[in-house]
Amino acid sequence: MLMLKEIDLFGVFLAPMMLYVVIAGALWLGLRRLLSRFGVYRAVWHPPLFNAALFLILLAGIAAAGYR
Amino acid sequence: MRPNRLLPVAVTLSVVAVAIAAGIFLWDLYMDSPWTRDGRVRAEVIQVAPDVAGAVVEIHVADNQPVARGDVLFVVDRARYELALTRAEASVAALKEQAAQRRREAERRTRLGTSAITVESREQAESAAVQAEAGLRQAEADLASARLNLERTMVRAPVNGYVTNLHLNLGDYVTAGRPAFALVDSDSYYVVGYFEETKIPRIREGDPVSIRLMGRDGEIRGKVAGIARAIVDRDASDGGDLVANVNPTFSWVRLAQRIPVRVALDPLPADLVLSAGMTATVVVEPAAE
Repeated sequence: MLMLKEIDLFGVFLAPMMLYVVIAGALWLGLRRLLSRFGVYRAVWHPPLFNAALFLILLAGIAAAGYR
Repeated sequence: MRPNRLLPVAVTLSVVAVAIAAGIFLWDLYMDSPWTRDGRVRAEVIQVAPDVAGAVVEIHVADNQPVARGDVLFVVDRARYELALTRAEASVAALKEQAAQRRREAERRTRLGTSAITVESREQAESAAVQAEAGLRQAEADLASARLNLERTMVRAPVNGYVTNLHLNLGDYVTAGRPAFALVDSDSYYVVGYFEETKIPRIREGDPVSIRLMGRDGEIRGKVAGIARAIVDRDASDGGDLVANVNPTFSWVRLAQRIPVRVALDPLPADLVLSAGMTATVVVEPAAE
């Protein structure tokens, strides 16, 4: 499926970035839960900064996968 | 215990560094790579106009019907043009007879000697014969023109295409040169992508292009056919004295202007119904350097 095209949300067409943000957000929430279960946050200095960085990495990864 | 206090900081900062790199990559990919949501399918539209005036007596096409080049689209009332043809034929017949008679007269007078007839009279006869022949040629041209007008009462399709927005009815009066309806040239479909000017440097003529139509799965393929070499300067116009009229306000926030890039389509899938005006997302795939 081609990802770089407009998203049809009940007849309103949105930029593909919307889709990337939603997917990245869902993965991000899941990843955060997983990381805290394994205690990774104990090895983190500034959790909000770490989380923000994580989200950006996920978003870039999804956009790269979606660019076709 | 010192390494244990430094380790979390190092982990966090390295993840942040990766995120910054990812952010730059994302910006480059999404904002600067040559793709746009602002694309349109377009086609050449021919305004079909009759070459002769008159009431429409036959319509051979329906709205949205495909037509081939040369097909009769509609017929203008022929009666007046048939009469004109008859008149032109009669005129040719009369002038042919006149020219023949003048020629015979001139030959007879040439054979007579100067003792029987004046030079002037002979000259007059020769001149009358030449004039009658010229008149005949003119009448023959009028006849050809009348034939052409009669033939042009059948309005034919100039290209292969689709009749569109047909509002012509039997009995409508059409005027020569005034368009009666639109014909979409089916061999002329193309796509225009309006790309931000920041993306233009990454587009080259001949680059392969993927086109995603709104509401259709999959892609259609094409190639960059050309980049528009001019758009309107919105901040200046010509004033009354042909001097520049520059807009004095300048905005802090500005948007990249958009430049049309024309995409020629590769052969299309058979099931695809293209309408000029459809919305498309256009992704240029720059050829590997």
